[in-house]
Amino acid sequence: MRHLHVYAVVLLVAFALVYARVVNAYWIHVAIVSMIYGILAASWALLAGYVGQFSFAHMAFASLGGYTSALLVQWYSVAVPLGMAAGLVLSALFGSLIGWVCLRMRGPYLAIFTLAFSEIVRIVLLSEHQVTSGPAGLRVAPLLQTPSRVPYYYVALGLLALCLTVMGLVVHSRWGLFFRAVREDEEAAGASGVNVVRAKILAFAVASGFAGLAGAFYAHYIGILTPELGSSDQMGLVVAMAVIGGLERLPAAVGGAIGVETLQEVLRSYGPWRFVLFGALLLLTMRFFRNGLLAPAWQRLLEARPVGSVLTSSREVRKGHRA
Amino acid sequence: MNQDEALVRAVRLCKRFGGITAVDAFDFSVRQGELVALIGPNGSGKTTLVNMLTGHLNPESGEIFLRGRRVNGLPSFEFAALGVGRTFQMSQPFRRLSVLENMLVPGLTRPRSTREATAACARVHLKFLGLAHLETLAARNLSGGQQKLLELGRALMLEPLIVFLDEPFAGVHPTLRSEIIERILELNASGRTFVVVDHDMEAIQRLAGRLVVMARGRLIADGPPDRVREDQAVLAAYAGV
Repeated sequence: MRHLHVYAVVLLVAFALVYARVVNAYWIHVAIVSMIYGILAASWALLAGYVGQFSFAHMAFASLGGYTSALLVQWYSVAVPLGMAAGLVLSALFGSLIGWVCLRMRGPYLAIFTLAFSEIVRIVLLSEHQVTSGPAGLRVAPLLQTPSRVPYYYVALGLLALCLTVMGLVVHSRWGLFFRAVREDEEAAGASGVNVVRAKILAFAVASGFAGLAGAFYAHYIGILTPELGSSDQMGLVVAMAVIGGLERLPAAVGGAIGVETLQEVLRSYGPWRFVLFGALLLLTMRFFRNGLLAPAWQRLLEARPVGSVLTSSREVRKGHRA
Repeated sequence: MNQDEALVRAVRLCKRFGGITAVDAFDFSVRQGELVALIGPNGSGKTTLVNMLTGHLNPESGEIFLRGRRVNGLPSFEFAALGVGRTFQMSQPFRRLSVLENMLVPGLTRPRSTREATAACARVHLKFLGLAHLETLAARNLSGGQQKLLELGRALMLEPLIVFLDEPFAGVHPTLRSEIIERILELNASGRTFVVVDHDMEAIQRLAGRLVVMARGRLIADGPPDRVREDQAVLAAYAGV
């Protein structure tokens, strides 16, 4: 009981490991795309939920990562994993740059700035069709030389685990605490000795880097890359996933991504109406569940303790309040 | 005062906002272990001065020295690293962080700090401030006075050479105000240097051995409270003459 969340994680991992062996290729594909969105939603949650930086350029970084890797492989015959690593690094560098430029921007100003940057990236990719093949799409070499989706599934699972582990280490380090302090009050964080500039740039770099990695993996999995990956529709979808899951918990954001992507497929027969449902779900979450639908459950799981100790600690808190 | 003895020294500091001169050629110094009260009518430039002396605002001209080192233009986090702590006029706790996490933030910015040692140090300060039983509570759930105490605790976690307290008694219940005064006096007795900005003259009388009075961005009086209270320029500034 004391480590309930550990059991929950072990169960989830066991389920994820056997999933690809028991479902058909279609649902494996859905799971792979869900995990890519999971990386995107969690990395956006790191930036928005932990540091309070509501950037709408996240999918532009995914595009940058995808095109960087695809073009490096196409032009210089670089090994695909190296291309993906280059996509991660370039997106992280651009992310740091955007983070530095946006240092003094908050709220709507940051949102509009990053939206404009995102559109610039999309339109450049659309216009430079000699390089990117524009809206027709760039043919991308596959990561794995196999017709089966199962190996891709395990690579996606590994990447998701890697991203969550690295981001988890960051948010549980002192920098995670500094991120939250910056989110709460930049002025007070500075007065407390936090280097606010470094915290914001670090957060932008980590989040954008993982967005770039997700974009690169997506490109080499699907095999074709269009500038629509960086569209505001895609950005809206990632925001909805992170918000519905819970912005301030990385696993909750991943849960949101998997839930929304799976629902999209289950409700496919309803056509565009399913997006109306997601919109309504997003509105309800924002209105009634500010911490998302999954984050409170994850939090409860983390805090699960033997019944006796829960009673003791809550009694102590009440006693403290009275004092 | 011998300039070499000064812990913090400001020389002809100026700050303008548009056409308004908030601080005008202000000279000011504080010695190690002093407890100085900075007073003045609303809009006299006290908070602007504190903001410059803690790195939150850059002066347009003039110089700031900390233990003889020129620190103009450094960002606020470097002031904090050099041992300058502060609280804010309107409490600015990290609202959704717990009381203990609020204390850990400045503590973990210290070089070679570890989470365990910092938490132990934070708990000592929280006990001293009477907040130990609230350590798991989100800071937004504290009362106004408790938030002021928490801000003081956060400043103490920097192991500061000097702490600037901007209106620590504003909106605080008299009982808690007395508690804050007691804590400041105890810390000062142990060698901590304070500059307290406030309008509460009763509290100021109990606290400070030296009063510095500002009006319209300028220094109009500096000395022991008894002498400053009789100063004609001070009386005129407060009477609005």
